[in-house]
Amino acid sequence: MLPRRLISSLFLLVSALTACAPAAPSVSNTPPAGQASIGGKLVVYSGRSEPLIRPVIDAFKAQNPRIEVLLKAGSNSELANALIEERANPQADLFITTEVFTVQSLAQQGVFKSYRPAGADRLPAGSIGPDNSWVGLSRRARVIMYNTDLVANAELPKSIFDLTDPKWKGKIAAAGSTNGSTQAQIATMRQLLGDTETEKWLRGLLANKVIFFGGHTDVRKAVGTGEFALGLVNHYYYHLQVAEGSKVGIIYPDQGEGQVGVITNATAAGVVKGAPNAEAAQALMDFLVSEQGQNLFAAQNYEYPLLPGVALRQGVQPLDAFRLAKVDVASVARETKATFDLIEKVGLP
Amino acid sequence: MKRGNSLILPAWLSRRFDAHPVRRPARLPLPVPLAGVAGLVALFVAIPVVYIFLRAAGADLDDWQRLLQARIWSLLGNTLLLVAAVTGGALVIGVSMAWLTERTDLPGRKVLRWMFAMPLAIPAYIGGIVHLALLRPRGGLLPQMLESLFGQPVLTPSPLGFLGAAFILTLFTFPYVYLLSAAAFRSQHASLEEAARTLGCKSWQAVLFVTLPALRPGLLAGALLVALDILAEYGTVALLRYETFSSAIFVQLSGRYDRSAASVLSGVLVALAMIILWTELRVQGQARFTQMDGSWRPAPLTALGRWRFPMLTLALSVVFASLLVPVGVLLAWSVVALLDPQTLQEVVRTGSRGFLSFALNSLWTSALAALVAVTLSLPVAVFSVRHPSRISRFVARFCQVGYAIPGVVIALSLVLLVNRAAPVLYGTPFVVVIAYVLRHMPQAVRASEAALNQLSPALEEAARISGRTALQAFRQVTLPLILPGLLAGGALVFLTSLKELPATLLLRPAGFDTLAVRVWVWAADGFDAQAAPAALLLVLASATPLFFLLRREQLFK
Amino acid sequence: MTRLSVTHLIKRYPQAALPAVQDVSFEVEDGEILALVGPSGCGKTTTLRLIAGLERPDAGSICLNGQEVASDTRFIPPEQRGVGMVFQDHALFPHLNAHDNIAFGLRRWRPAEARQVVDDMLKLVGLAPLARRFPHTLSGGERQRVALARALAPRPVLVLMDEPFSSLDTDLRLEMREQVRSLLKTMQASVVFVTHDQEEAMYMGDRLGVFKSGSLEQIGTPEQIYQTSATRFVAEFMGNSSFVAGEVTPAGIWTELGLLSQAVDLPAAAAVEVAVRADDIDFQPHPVGNGVIIDRSFRGMHNLYRLRLDSGLELRAFKEHTTILPVGERVHARINAGHPLCVFPDTAKG
Repeated sequence: MLPRRLISSLFLLVSALTACAPAAPSVSNTPPAGQASIGGKLVVYSGRSEPLIRPVIDAFKAQNPRIEVLLKAGSNSELANALIEERANPQADLFITTEVFTVQSLAQQGVFKSYRPAGADRLPAGSIGPDNSWVGLSRRARVIMYNTDLVANAELPKSIFDLTDPKWKGKIAAAGSTNGSTQAQIATMRQLLGDTETEKWLRGLLANKVIFFGGHTDVRKAVGTGEFALGLVNHYYYHLQVAEGSKVGIIYPDQGEGQVGVITNATAAGVVKGAPNAEAAQALMDFLVSEQGQNLFAAQNYEYPLLPGVALRQGVQPLDAFRLAKVDVASVARETKATFDLIEKVGLP
Repeated sequence: MKRGNSLILPAWLSRRFDAHPVRRPARLPLPVPLAGVAGLVALFVAIPVVYIFLRAAGADLDDWQRLLQARIWSLLGNTLLLVAAVTGGALVIGVSMAWLTERTDLPGRKVLRWMFAMPLAIPAYIGGIVHLALLRPRGGLLPQMLESLFGQPVLTPSPLGFLGAAFILTLFTFPYVYLLSAAAFRSQHASLEEAARTLGCKSWQAVLFVTLPALRPGLLAGALLVALDILAEYGTVALLRYETFSSAIFVQLSGRYDRSAASVLSGVLVALAMIILWTELRVQGQARFTQMDGSWRPAPLTALGRWRFPMLTLALSVVFASLLVPVGVLLAWSVVALLDPQTLQEVVRTGSRGFLSFALNSLWTSALAALVAVTLSLPVAVFSVRHPSRISRFVARFCQVGYAIPGVVIALSLVLLVNRAAPVLYGTPFVVVIAYVLRHMPQAVRASEAALNQLSPALEEAARISGRTALQAFRQVTLPLILPGLLAGGALVFLTSLKELPATLLLRPAGFDTLAVRVWVWAADGFDAQAAPAALLLVLASATPLFFLLRREQLFK
Repeated sequence: MTRLSVTHLIKRYPQAALPAVQDVSFEVEDGEILALVGPSGCGKTTTLRLIAGLERPDAGSICLNGQEVASDTRFIPPEQRGVGMVFQDHALFPHLNAHDNIAFGLRRWRPAEARQVVDDMLKLVGLAPLARRFPHTLSGGERQRVALARALAPRPVLVLMDEPFSSLDTDLRLEMREQVRSLLKTMQASVVFVTHDQEEAMYMGDRLGVFKSGSLEQIGTPEQIYQTSATRFVAEFMGNSSFVAGEVTPAGIWTELGLLSQAVDLPAAAAVEVAVRADDIDFQPHPVGNGVIIDRSFRGMHNLYRLRLDSGLELRAFKEHTTILPVGERVHARINAGHPLCVFPDTAKG
């Protein structure tokens, strides 16, 4: 019978495809020395977008050829949702975010296994979560980038609050509310300035017809080409755009007396409790805070490494030179719902 | 078997091409197990809708209040505005192009027919990526060309926002209306317009007052399909930063901890879509034109005269924007990507996965979805076609509900349901397949019903008389005969599953990428050239089943 | 031996006000062809489908070869009844060639035997050279013969034929029914044959059953049905009868065509209708007369005249082919049957 044959051959095809899709790692008889003997599938949920995490993972894989890394990149909160959903049935081994509030909040909900990576003692205070639930990886600053063709030096905004000035109407781009760095900035501002001031600022941005893109890459490229005059970004997007040859400038805002200072945040990672391959996850964690891993963040992506002694990439201004906003991570993390409620209330896209 | 029935067009329209009317269906006296199976299929299809409505109804009063205060109304306004604009635009372009290719002596109209249908193989978000890259003020290719031409920056309108979204979506949805109205134009009796002419109408008056009104039911059905498509659209509106219900739900799902707000928005969206779907089903039921009988002959072509070239220019510019530009730019980018060793390396092998695996993932999930959807549609179709009753009609109509559940909503309900009800499936690609099946079930049901409608029940009766049980008769007689129709239905499910974006994005397990996801992720990270080969492959993979589907149509013979 | 007996069969459809089949009973003897005839929608096809098992009766019973196949408590599905059926549009399987169509019902036979039967059937219907042809390449008559061969090949208990000639041209239909009848008779098949064409029914049937609105009006040989119609409907439907009003008198029946000296079992002065056919009427040109010629059509063997009587009644009457009279001529018409005519009480006049 044709149909039965057709169905069974389709079935075979499908099972063959599914079987070969997660190709089994080639078995080697002579395992390389040390760590490299770890193998298996390592599922990484990453809030860092793919191009920002892949170089690090590739370097890790070069050291651990028997580990197959499966990457799911998305927004911090989407992946955090998934982790909460999966607590009874964990799928992921390691979670990497672009800010610490999400990992802190997840740690409060018991999503992470306690793990202190090798070399953690060298990290500065405050970059390890309570009970070693998470570890900070790299630091970034929230800055304003501008197109030097379109904005004269005299006009440059000095504060993020200048962005609500009607003279910038329709000339600003930023990342939307699904972006972790944007969320973290709003969460930080709520703690520093209170709900009312933050809401006023957000409404000011909306009234100024700020275009909120899905991610910062769109923002930096649009400022680079001059589609927009100003962009609210993390500092390394400025450097990435300069590297593409655009005429752009950078402003570390709010340096004046009485102003909040530059808002910074740190990327972080945690090993998932009940992870199917915790061993590999821990190996990757170790790698991320190792000299080599930290150097990749600094060199490839212009970030501020957390490990002392790792050099900044040429052109990146040291953070010591600036007045920095100070936040209490634990208390901000407890306010997550209130932050989202505010975002919802003003209707940030 | 009679002549091939149409699948891209709704079943009722193709039924007019039947050689002779189908005889009264049989009432074989054993529909109980069949009704049971068909009912189970309907229950399966009902899961996401019921779940979403329960979640929406069970959401905190706070959530409702907060959303009602501001969000829902502005989202409703945005969504309806876009739906109205795109539906209107698609109607204008679709009908006028159909008139040009079917009723005038436009040069090259045979080739143009294909050109107007092929944009169906291009997902709107891919078209959007290309057009956005071309049109961005200052940064886009077009403004830069103008700048180098005039020596200074030229201010061009931004494709971001409402106008851009409406423009892009019109370009890639008008083929639905085009196919429906071209088929309707063709099947109309020549005598209709001739009668109007003898009654004193000028040629254009005859078209306006006689031809078009006679096409109305078909056009309405086409317009409603476009409207449902726009309600469900995620990629394009997200790309062009225009907020609709679908994109807001996606934001809620990917950007918040709290899912009840997403459920509330989904409830409203699905209710809205249900109203449109219900209207569409009603129109579909009523829209029966006269049978094409022996006296049918094509209407005479209108001579365009001095309008020939202006009209040809118009038609070519539609083809240019909706087909040549996207395909051409993707080709150019692909060449760029393949010539640049670094990009090439990214394309061929990125992260833990290679390009081949994205393609294979796309193919096997879509193929499996097509197989499952067609298989599930069979009991439903047999029940409704061979045992017509109020219950069987209800079951068949209920299976159309997938049209009204946008991908984001299916994703929301599956995310929440699968981990609780079937943890074994959680985190596997099969959840993605389930989403495709739920979403594209209506196409499979319509195709199977159309195929069965073409087959005289006397054949099954003859098999029964010759000693076969109902099941044997179905396997030995019905199935081989409706297989071409089923394959076409499967091809349609395959085609739409390949293009599916939002549900795939939200449901895919770690490390599992399809072509659509890859294109989207790369383009979102700004690597247009790197995304191009995958996009091109996706378009080609969609164009192949589309080509065979179109070949079954009267228009393309 | 009785092949089929149908007793008090009733079938209702949900939406219909009246039953499609209403208390129908009849029998078919071994080797007999029973033709069920009646206007469309009269229930004859439904009866056939009930016998085949394609529909389930609401009441009554059906016995095939003495075995009950349908009753209030029993329902044997069609595949187990062992009947053969020829469908209105033939219903040949388009994906099978002529040979395989005929072999379709021989699944349980030994292959060699089945092949032999199919070959025999193909020879019998004269299609041996076309065995490998597919249905869409066959002519209407060839398809008809394949359908018949398919129905007959498994040696069914009973052959059911549903308007088998309706999709053929007139010429072919006349030719086919001769062939089919002689084939059925050769094979001594027992047949229920459904048609709406009374001439075809009389040609095909050893006996006829006349249906009206779901009921069997009369069953009998063609001659019985034609000559002694049981009801006014049978007389009208089977013989193109016209009805002349009359009144019962001791001498016979008085009509406007004169006195019909025929005894009837009705009280005197009862209003009746007499069924007359074209060959029961004679007329002569007459300056006074009782009617006028309104039309004549030449039918080769005879002329068919239409007369309008002074009462307004229109009649048809045959004349030999040489007698040609002009339209408008006054004539005197009278009954000249040579056999008893059917007389029915005139229900309209009570």
